[in-house]
Amino acid sequence: MRIVLFAVLLGLFPGGVTGLLQAQENTAIISAEPGPPNTLGTRSDTEIWHDLRLGAGGLVNPSTGSPEGGVLINSEGWEWSKLRNPETSPVIRYGSWGLLGVLGALVLFFLVRGRIDHGADTGRRILRFRLDQRVIHWSVACVFVLMGLTGLAILFGRPFILPLIGKEAHSVLLTASMQAHNLFGPVFALFLLALFVKFLRGNFPAWVDVKWLLKGGGFFGGHAPAGRYNLGEKAWFWTAVLAGGALSVTGFIMLFPDYLATRDTIHLSELVHAIAALVMIGFSLGHIYLGTIGTRGTLGGMVDGHVDEAWAQAHHDQWLAEELGRSDSETAADPIPDAEVQEA
Amino acid sequence: MSLIEILEGPLWKASATIFVVFAAFRLMMILFTGRRHARARPAGSPAAGALRAILGHFLPWRALLKNGKAWFVILAGYAFHVGLFVLLLFAAPHVEFIREKIVGLPWEPIPRWGFIVAAQFSFAGLIALWVRRFVDPVVRLISRPDDHIAAGLTFAVMLSGCMALGEQSTFLRGLHLGLVELWLVYFPFSSLMHTFTWPFSRGFTGAMAGRRGTRA
Repeated sequence: MRIVLFAVLLGLFPGGVTGLLQAQENTAIISAEPGPPNTLGTRSDTEIWHDLRLGAGGLVNPSTGSPEGGVLINSEGWEWSKLRNPETSPVIRYGSWGLLGVLGALVLFFLVRGRIDHGADTGRRILRFRLDQRVIHWSVACVFVLMGLTGLAILFGRPFILPLIGKEAHSVLLTASMQAHNLFGPVFALFLLALFVKFLRGNFPAWVDVKWLLKGGGFFGGHAPAGRYNLGEKAWFWTAVLAGGALSVTGFIMLFPDYLATRDTIHLSELVHAIAALVMIGFSLGHIYLGTIGTRGTLGGMVDGHVDEAWAQAHHDQWLAEELGRSDSETAADPIPDAEVQEA
Repeated sequence: MSLIEILEGPLWKASATIFVVFAAFRLMMILFTGRRHARARPAGSPAAGALRAILGHFLPWRALLKNGKAWFVILAGYAFHVGLFVLLLFAAPHVEFIREKIVGLPWEPIPRWGFIVAAQFSFAGLIALWVRRFVDPVVRLISRPDDHIAAGLTFAVMLSGCMALGEQSTFLRGLHLGLVELWLVYFPFSSLMHTFTWPFSRGFTGAMAGRRGTRA
């Protein structure tokens, strides 16, 4: 019985004290003197504070002409800060796991499948990419690597790099990354536009893509037919164009926030920017792997422009047939032919 | 003396001195060494040929319009060189540095957005031109290590400058200045000298062609 009574007192006591304090406070508020005209003085208006907290506009005098000039607290920002918090952010958590997953899958694929080889070279070489295409491709690649590294430093810096190098070095890395990222952004957009124009031909869907898909792209053995570009390359092209386009648009919004967006649009832009970047970086890892160590003979096509006919037969047989046919009938009339068959 | 003080003091003076002395020496050598007098009767005017080559090569219509493979080289060349010129001489931090360390006289810098755009054009041009050295078989063949070092060093100087744009970090400022000093020391002994020698080389080629009655 004593125990029950003690528990009841213990429960009531804090409530009693709190109630007493609130009563004293209310008395103080009610008895406060009014302030200057057009103010509430020391009185509290709970509705105003409630509305301010929820991001209502027009409650404070707008100092600027912007749409958010009369908003004191951006309520969406609270949610946004949670999304950005390195310890809780799903973008950082799933993004880092996603990129590690792609790297792991590539290593596993290489260990299981090894380097894809097209057999013995014929010694006859055919032009795959013209000079302007190669220059634009590698220019985009250079800027993309720079943007990717600086962007990843900005996105993953606090959770992953700061503990390794300390606050001072991390702040230097971040300011350098941000300045380079901001300056190279428009350069990336310009090169991406040129890439879109120069590589659009041949990247539209075709019936042969279905056949290529049904054959597993030839990644696990067997021959998969393809035109100038196979379905995987087309997917990469459109991913690069769409994700790169999203990166460019959202990047410009964040570069010129005062002219192009409200705060909520900027929050959305940051989210889209981060997701598009992670998608593009993840896809690019696969592209880099297949273009270099994954497939013999592919890199040469993008460096000196030519591939061996055996490579073309193995990976792009329909394109080879078209080019050889064109070469036979048109080379004489075309001073810079798309297909230059060379004897090595 | 801190590292940044060394970079802004003795190392800056040493690298600027090497740049001025050896660049001037090389120019003098080119101008005064002379060559054997041509004895053949001239078929045309060497002076007109030189002038035509110096000015005419600014507008390479044939390369731009008739050779479909090289149009971007012209655009990239102009983007890089004009962008770098604007960046070097009219960016506010450079104007301030030149006033303080070299000439003592200020001139009007362009607005920040102007030199950012100039830097973007310059970077785009430099990247395209440097990439071409690797992927064009002919240009790759005639490119020497010096060409790559010159391009790489110029890129590093520009990149470090771009990373220091926030003007918040002494380390980044020091990195940029250190690379500039390395670039200045390398300059007189490299293909970067074409900054000063291009009128002479164009003029000489044009004069030779003009003397023979042809065009360079």
